[in-house]
Amino acid sequence: MSREGRSAKRRREGRRVFFLLLPIMVFAIAFIYFPFIRTIINAFSRVNSKGIIKGFAGLENFIYTYSRKDFLPALKHTLIIAIFNVPITLVITLTLALLSQKRRRLSAVYETMFTLPMSVSMSAACMIFKSMFSPSVGFINYFFSLKLGWFESTETALAACIILTVWMGIGFDYLLLLSALRGIPKSVMEATEVDGISLWRKIFLVEIPLISPTIFYIFCTNLVLCMMTSAPMIIIMGVSPESSATNTLMSMMYQSGFSSSDYGLAAVLSLTAFILTLLFTILSFVAEKRRVHYEA
Amino acid sequence: MKRKKIDFIMDIIVTTVALILGFIIVFPLIYCFLSSFKTASEFLEPKLFPSSFKYLENFKNALERGNLVRYTLNSFIIAFFGSATRMVLSILAAYAFTFYNFKGKNFFFFMILGTMMIPGDVLLVTNYLTVSKLHLLNTYLGVMVVSFVSASQMFMLRQRFKSIPKDMREASSMDGYGDLWFIWKVLLPLSKPVVTTLFIQGFINLWNAYLWPLITTASSPEMRTVMVGITRLNSWEDENYQLVMAGVCISLIPSFILFFIMRRNMKKGGLDGSLVG
Repeated sequence: MSREGRSAKRRREGRRVFFLLLPIMVFAIAFIYFPFIRTIINAFSRVNSKGIIKGFAGLENFIYTYSRKDFLPALKHTLIIAIFNVPITLVITLTLALLSQKRRRLSAVYETMFTLPMSVSMSAACMIFKSMFSPSVGFINYFFSLKLGWFESTETALAACIILTVWMGIGFDYLLLLSALRGIPKSVMEATEVDGISLWRKIFLVEIPLISPTIFYIFCTNLVLCMMTSAPMIIIMGVSPESSATNTLMSMMYQSGFSSSDYGLAAVLSLTAFILTLLFTILSFVAEKRRVHYEA
Repeated sequence: MKRKKIDFIMDIIVTTVALILGFIIVFPLIYCFLSSFKTASEFLEPKLFPSSFKYLENFKNALERGNLVRYTLNSFIIAFFGSATRMVLSILAAYAFTFYNFKGKNFFFFMILGTMMIPGDVLLVTNYLTVSKLHLLNTYLGVMVVSFVSASQMFMLRQRFKSIPKDMREASSMDGYGDLWFIWKVLLPLSKPVVTTLFIQGFINLWNAYLWPLITTASSPEMRTVMVGITRLNSWEDENYQLVMAGVCISLIPSFILFFIMRRNMKKGGLDGSLVG
């Protein structure tokens, strides 16, 4: 093939690649990268109620946001949800995965039960839990003979939200851990049988270290999800100035962006949540780097 | 012999414990299902079971008064076309990354994967402004447009495509067939389990979406999706939970059906757990 022939072929291929990648790139730029950059710009600008930038604002938006008296509670609630949700989810899903690791006659039945919450949507789950936790007619108060007005005080409302978000996450995380456990090479497990070590030692010294990459993955994804929690607040508590008792960063962002069209505030809140999430993820990567066991 | 007996007893104990835990986990769904058959006065009594399963008023009311028929249709259109578009974009990109070598390949690849680093919620407000500027508020396209890109899906498809010999594409292009023909006639039939699973996953994602449909259809109640619709069936003043539970049951039917299909598919395709994110 002559040189011209080859370069013509290359040009033709280049054109094809261009058209193959164009669609996904257009949408990735228009609806992910552009809005992301725009959020950063908005955070440093004066934005009017129609979303149009009216000039550079420096740190004005940040000072305004951080000095609002509902900012710290929102941050606190977000962190509380993350601090409780992440370890609780891990312990529950790991227990379930260890329990059901061996295939038994009824495996399919309980595996399906454990994974079922996966297919339930956030809003459906919120409505079910809102009903179950209802102070007057809810099943929870009746069953445990409690008289809690669950969504009336901040602590119990947050507790209910944590239960809800943990429940939502069980299915998928369980599935990941289960397949990680079942993926441990047979030879390793046989070696532990021969050595005759106790069950606890087997779990904590062999199995958990071996699946630590999956555990770490779940840890990180859950952390991100928790930092972005907003739907339970919006759906269950509703959006009104009085309901900000359980606001998280993202539900406060939703309020400021859509109820009061304060786009500067919304941008700062989004950015704060994003940066915190990024920071936590990086920190956990650094902390786990030495401890997580990756197979060669 | 003794060992076997211990194993057998252990299995029974573990199975029982697992079933009890499973029951607790599924309980909210059982509760929802049972409550949807209750009358308003029955709901006030602290009982789990309804007096009969013949009372279907809640479902009727949810579908008619709550307009859930229309909302379900909206959700179907959005979830189907949204996940289909997402699939097409991912297939084209994954194909380009697998079968072509070009300048900036890594750059584009990581640019698409980089979208995973940015949580969608952070972009809510600015995307809302974009969509309203494009006059797409209260349209189906407006609701689905933000979910057209899925880096994880593209990645998963590329992993699958990589295992298909490159000779096959060379042979088909020698014969004068184009890219689309090759994708349609060779690549897709060979990757059917992955494509189906990813499509279902995308469908469930879009079907279950809440926040974005809520804000993009805020000013036009007929355009709401079913997930937004069910949250509007009651209010703090008028609790009406039995009606809400009926609505929730309706909204869960398609997800459950697809969920079971997907589980079967994943087991068949040996995909269990390899579908991350």
